[in-house]
Amino acid sequence: MDKKILIAAIVIVIIIIAAVGAYMAMPKSKPKPAPSTVIYGYMVEMITLDPSTEFSNSIVTLANLYEDLTKYVDGNVKPWLATSWESNNDGTVWTFHLRENVKFHSGNPFTAQDVKWSIERTIRMGQGAAFIWDPVKEIKVIDDHTVEFDLKYSANLPLIASASYGAWIMDSKLLSPIGNDTQIAGYLNKGHDAGTGPYYLYSYNAKTEVVMKKFNDYWGGWNDKQFDIAIIKIVPDASLREQMVTSNQIQITRELPLDDIPSLENNPNVKVDATPSYEELYGMLNTVKAPLNNKLVRQALAYATPYKDLVKYVLNGYGEVAKCPIPKGMLGYFDDLSTYSYNITKAEELLKQAGYTGGMHLLLTYTAGDEAEKKVAELLKASWSKIGVDLEIRALNWEQQWSFATSDPSKAQDVLIFYWWPTYPTPYDFLFNLFHSEKQPFFNLAYYNNSQFDHLIDQAVSLEGTNIQKALSLYHQAEEILMQDSPALFLYTPDDVYVVSNTITGFHDNPGYPQVVFFYDLQKVS
Amino acid sequence: MKLWEYVVYRLILAFVVIFFVVVIVFFVSHVIPSNPAALWAGAHPTPEEIEKAREELHLNDPLIVQFYYYLGGLLHGNLGVSIRTHNPVAEDIGSAFTATLELILVAEFFALLIGVALGVYSAVKKDSWIDNASRLFAISGVSLPAFWFGMVLQLLFFKQLGWLPLSGRVDTVVMLEHPLHVITGFYIFDSLITGNWTIFQNSILHIILPAATLAMYPVGLITRQVRSMMIEVLQENYIRTARSYGVPDRMIYMKYALKNAISPALIVVGLSLAYTLVGAFLVEIIFNWPGLGRYATYAILSMDYPAIIGVVIVVATAYVFINLIVDLLQMYIDPRIRV
Repeated sequence: MDKKILIAAIVIVIIIIAAVGAYMAMPKSKPKPAPSTVIYGYMVEMITLDPSTEFSNSIVTLANLYEDLTKYVDGNVKPWLATSWESNNDGTVWTFHLRENVKFHSGNPFTAQDVKWSIERTIRMGQGAAFIWDPVKEIKVIDDHTVEFDLKYSANLPLIASASYGAWIMDSKLLSPIGNDTQIAGYLNKGHDAGTGPYYLYSYNAKTEVVMKKFNDYWGGWNDKQFDIAIIKIVPDASLREQMVTSNQIQITRELPLDDIPSLENNPNVKVDATPSYEELYGMLNTVKAPLNNKLVRQALAYATPYKDLVKYVLNGYGEVAKCPIPKGMLGYFDDLSTYSYNITKAEELLKQAGYTGGMHLLLTYTAGDEAEKKVAELLKASWSKIGVDLEIRALNWEQQWSFATSDPSKAQDVLIFYWWPTYPTPYDFLFNLFHSEKQPFFNLAYYNNSQFDHLIDQAVSLEGTNIQKALSLYHQAEEILMQDSPALFLYTPDDVYVVSNTITGFHDNPGYPQVVFFYDLQKVS
Repeated sequence: MKLWEYVVYRLILAFVVIFFVVVIVFFVSHVIPSNPAALWAGAHPTPEEIEKAREELHLNDPLIVQFYYYLGGLLHGNLGVSIRTHNPVAEDIGSAFTATLELILVAEFFALLIGVALGVYSAVKKDSWIDNASRLFAISGVSLPAFWFGMVLQLLFFKQLGWLPLSGRVDTVVMLEHPLHVITGFYIFDSLITGNWTIFQNSILHIILPAATLAMYPVGLITRQVRSMMIEVLQENYIRTARSYGVPDRMIYMKYALKNAISPALIVVGLSLAYTLVGAFLVEIIFNWPGLGRYATYAILSMDYPAIIGVVIVVATAYVFINLIVDLLQMYIDPRIRV
């Protein structure tokens, strides 16, 4: 045998023996109990970590680090950092009594000063959802655990305080010494938090994962079934998320392909949790451009729309036909409005009445990349062709679609499909943004202009805080006007569909905080 | 032309190319109708916020003034701020690029090793069953779509066999227990020099599947190139002469023949490096690899033009420099070109 090879072989054998020996001789550390971990597989990366300005998907992180004064649960405003509140008769002065013995993650005690500082900072920065605080004139610290809001006009402040954007309470003693508002934003975005929430930020990478650890001094206390570590893992690919949740690599996720959900319902490793969301899909009809400036034509389209098919084929049944401009489950939802249902004969009659017998060409835009909107557009095209409407479908990314719609209504699209969801769950958020008259088109992309409607909703919102029954009856009148005028098609409200591993329990979707998983609610299955 | 003159000439050319790439991408991305202010302000902004965003992004200025601002920043190494995430683009791309580079380098390294070995072996044992099998392998490597192959690997090695992890760069929970001190951004290298064996092992396990997927194309390319060059070279007179002198076969193949056959293969490696950069876009999505491809996909889908331009600049620069390095390497290996 070759001498070199022999030597090489001997050397290799010696190395292997040495390595194995060293490995065996290594002191084995006793396995300590691994901290319990729960992972939420999330679709897109985080944006910012500044509670004052964040107006996007990063609330899935913030809602576990910070808390609001109040929490919106199943249509009611419940105590959170505030335990009780009251107002004067006309709803212009609100007093909040704050929870005692609450600590920030820094160890600083939570006081009324923090409430004042946080909300004032949000208002001062004027970004994101800061506009929700528009009614606020002055915030007064009465004592350590009492804070008073003086308003410019009557408003439902407890509901505003429950908002998922722009209402988080921050640790003023920790943040104010850091510098001005921009410097504080910089500090927070580097991966720091200043909240009272059940978890504190342990490590942060906006593009890959957010790791949070349990805050031992949390005022709500802990039991040993809750999780020590909560992770939000960014996994953009839906089929990958599906594989991960069925193999327990992640414990909860959402936005899996709806076609796969029925088979996941039968998968023993996971359960499917579907809850109606506070999101609604609208087909905004161009009310200033012929032929849709004619109410009868708009009504005809509303009758020619196959609502049930949309829910069946687009959502695979995970959603409901919208009967109202407001999503089901929210304040301001009514099921007794004069809604439209699929009726081709009626649609044809209305078109004849309007004088359109020779057919028409309409342009529809939807947000490119949204598969559901695409399917809706195709179903509308097929169905409307039965009444002689030739529908041209154009996919644009949202920013393009929006600039096209807001440039010149008389040359813009005829139909625009888009979703709306609330900044905080008031019907006014929907009715004002989508249908209140505007000098320049902004979100009222039906270009609807009805002073009676404007007046009704403006009056209703000012009564929300003091006389909710009266406010609701005004909203009802306003929504009935919308149904008659038909400036938009109310298509459907999709379900929030989560797929949850069977290794955890306690998950409860709260559509008031879109896409948020409150990790504190989750427990191990023993 | 002297070598250093050639290098300087190529570098100047590279900068001209990159400059024009920047100009074209900047203007094209600004001509496409979009609304960056809306993207900057978030989902449901107020009109005031949109106006504020227009000011901050200089959108009210003429395009040429915007370009001036951009170029000014670029000369200071500032790629601007992403409209979607409000993060500095250079910072984002920096971390994404090292992740991609680690993946590509590992893939290319194994592609080269396997490709050359298979190529040489097939050429020597021409028309044997091994040759046929490796040719079939090479053709499928070039023609199978990466996303399909990646998913097959996932199904086999994760779901069926349970040998390898499904996705990601490293296991989150393992990373929490054994935090890695990041120095270069290459996890395998960083964990090795800091002696973090758990992460070292974990990151190697994680890179196998995506790297194998990515390597399929270059393996096929290199195998075919090396094989055909070897077959050609083995018929040359000097090989016959060497044989007649009784030089051992191994020496003839590995030293005399391969040295002449590998030079064209190197060009292919250079080209395939650039191609793998593109292939990484798909592979990164499938394996959730936090690299440049994933970043670019997001940027393009949302018309985040500072991020798009940033990615294009980085990729164009990489392309130009890879080509330069390949040319220089070729000169080094094959003295006949050095004139």
